[in-house]
Amino acid sequence: MILGISSKNSYTYLWHIYGDIIFKTATLEERRRYYREEWSEKDLPKFITDELRMREFGFDHLGHGPNDRYKVFKGKDSLRRFLRYKTPFAAYISVAFYNNPRRRGDWLKSEYVFDVDAKDLPIRSCDCDGVCEICLSEALEIVNNMIDTLEGDLGIKKIHLIYSGRGYHIRILDDEIMDSDSELRSEILKYVAGAEVPKLKYGNISEGSGSSYNFEHFSIPIAYPKVFTKRIKYNIQHLKGNEEIDDINKNLLKDIIKNRDLLDDDQWGIFRSKIGPRRYKNMVTGMARVNLATIDAKVSIDLKRILRLPTSLHSKVSMKCVEVKDREWFDPFKSAVPKFVEERK
Amino acid sequence: MVLLSFINPLSEEGQEIVKEKGDLESVFSSNDELIYIVTHDKRQNIDDDSLIPESYGDLAIKRIQWYIERKNNKDFNNDDYSYLFNEEITEADVISFHLISQAIATKLNPNSREARFFVESQGKIIEERLVKLPEQERKEIVNRILNQLIFQENINWKFLKELVASKKISLTDLVLDEGNIILDKEDFINRFGDKFKDRAPDRMYEIIIGDSIKELILTKMIMQNTENYLQKIREMSSKIEVHPAISELSEKIAQSISELTSKYSGFYGVGGSEGSMKIGKLIKEAFPPCIATTVEGVSSGGRNDAIVLLLTSFVSYARLYPAIFRNEGVDVKVSDIDPNLTITLNEILPLIYEAADNCSPPLFDDQPQEKINITSKLGFGMYENPELDHEGETTWYTPMSCEKIKMHLPQLCRPDKLCAKIGNPLSYYSRAKWLMEKEGKSANSINSNNNSNGDSKNNNNQ
Repeated sequence: MILGISSKNSYTYLWHIYGDIIFKTATLEERRRYYREEWSEKDLPKFITDELRMREFGFDHLGHGPNDRYKVFKGKDSLRRFLRYKTPFAAYISVAFYNNPRRRGDWLKSEYVFDVDAKDLPIRSCDCDGVCEICLSEALEIVNNMIDTLEGDLGIKKIHLIYSGRGYHIRILDDEIMDSDSELRSEILKYVAGAEVPKLKYGNISEGSGSSYNFEHFSIPIAYPKVFTKRIKYNIQHLKGNEEIDDINKNLLKDIIKNRDLLDDDQWGIFRSKIGPRRYKNMVTGMARVNLATIDAKVSIDLKRILRLPTSLHSKVSMKCVEVKDREWFDPFKSAVPKFVEERK
Repeated sequence: MVLLSFINPLSEEGQEIVKEKGDLESVFSSNDELIYIVTHDKRQNIDDDSLIPESYGDLAIKRIQWYIERKNNKDFNNDDYSYLFNEEITEADVISFHLISQAIATKLNPNSREARFFVESQGKIIEERLVKLPEQERKEIVNRILNQLIFQENINWKFLKELVASKKISLTDLVLDEGNIILDKEDFINRFGDKFKDRAPDRMYEIIIGDSIKELILTKMIMQNTENYLQKIREMSSKIEVHPAISELSEKIAQSISELTSKYSGFYGVGGSEGSMKIGKLIKEAFPPCIATTVEGVSSGGRNDAIVLLLTSFVSYARLYPAIFRNEGVDVKVSDIDPNLTITLNEILPLIYEAADNCSPPLFDDQPQEKINITSKLGFGMYENPELDHEGETTWYTPMSCEKIKMHLPQLCRPDKLCAKIGNPLSYYSRAKWLMEKEGKSANSINSNNNSNGDSKNNNNQ
């Protein structure tokens, strides 16, 4: 767990204070105050300011979507002037670097992104309509697990975590992945998300060249089966019972929840026999789908997408989009609430 | 000791053989040495002369023939091709490998099925040759070739990223730690020894990694290198004149593949563009689940992409040119098949518009501009309706792959059994149609559709 009970309590406390005043759309006046009084170019992460002029910027001035696109800034100063003057509803920056960003021409490379939105999590413990402290903390736990896999298994470096206002962006600037195409990106995504059911059969690949063995994912405590096991354990432990998941019918869902305590001690073998081998197969297939749906996969494979600019204001929920420095203990209610919200009290 | 080039014809040793003995003047000359090796192979079936390759050119064709026969022929007898697995054939085999490469790269499309069959056959040949080697020799040669291909102790998976991107190797099949692909036993035990509670780590190493992952990597790397080699020859070939023997070989390869595929499967069609240009009315029963769901309407969230990107391209190609992926590189326009746009206006667009109307909320109610986008994806520019004068202003989009659908429109992807075998909804459609025809299920409806399809037949002939 990323958040211990005590920190969850403190969340609840803050939630009571802010619950009725945060997550409201920021007024034009509040946006002005934010960009003119609080925003500072010094807060822009270095990975954003490096090669700034090779990125495309996009803006949403009225809250209707980012329709002011293809903007380019020579440096931090011109960006600052623009933001102070226009105080946009939302500001975005491309994951792509171009020689000619004004026309999105001559593409050079793109960051590799995982987008986890708390409100779109297919399994979450809360009942809120949009986002709340519970689903936000669950989104953080999920992205932390993903970063562990990206670093630990895949050895990927230059990873930045951004709190986007309603979820998290993992932004990766690893040189060898940045110039890769969508195909490679979707293969990495499947591994990191746990979107594929691990193979059952191990041993020799060719016919007639010796014996092969069957192993369920939980019997192999390393490599991809370990990632998959961890992801579905998380899912099972967070089920509420009212989820609609393909391949998992109501009865199966009920039985999964009934027997899930066995997984606290990783007694997967017994858990599987309680569920029954055929239904277990359905569960695993359904969970692989849930894992894929946890991430907005089309963001990951898109080479030209624009993402919320770190330091900008997410006006719809009145939260700041900020880089997460300490991913284990990040608390959006401490680090991403703009001053004007405090003053709404 | 087996020659390295028996497994890897692209090795330096293989290239030396080609330099020394590869002679384009004798591609189709009878080669006594080759005939001797083939006819003296202990397992070789020699009671039929047509089974014995007499020249390097013959051998080149037989290599691909073996692969297609093996895959499709229920009565396949490996002893008909036993010589392919005899080490003595190495030199002739290496020469024939390079001959096929030249024939395919210079005369055929790199994405052609000929190229695909060649690369796949190379992979299968390697696998079978390895299986037939004595265990110790097999281990040794795998290690030697991998050392040449990889150069370093620890390989980072990114070194193989081309193989991952082209799905020759799945990351989920590898044992990865800090970016490295773990292949060495000692390394495995050092890293993961304490993770196994009930099983001995060295035994688990043999099962999870053992030689199988090494052989998988080796095979797939050689397949990838073969693809790259084809590409390289193709780039160079524009500057040099192609030898007549190579042209002849490429024709023979294409002909042989065409004969074999039509022999074994109606699914591949008769071959050649005319054969697969057949068009027929849309058979909704053959739609893949994602398309069937889209036709019934999609709720907000994926509406635009489902109708504009997926359905528009699917319906238009399924109706007009389902063979697009088999004839890649062919530049085809809607009007090549539907010259007066009768089918497009009367059958294709109504189906798309109906699906758009089934969406909740109906797509055009709040986004009427999507009509223009649909026209644009058919290749008729940015206008509300397709008109011949505007054709070519935009591209006629091909349907996205299953992989992309899974990512972009996950709510539509509800795979059934047939989905497991295909990678694009259009291939599903062709296959399902073919299966239905084979089973006679909808033979009547297909026939009656064709009969009532006078318009399109005429169009096709124009």
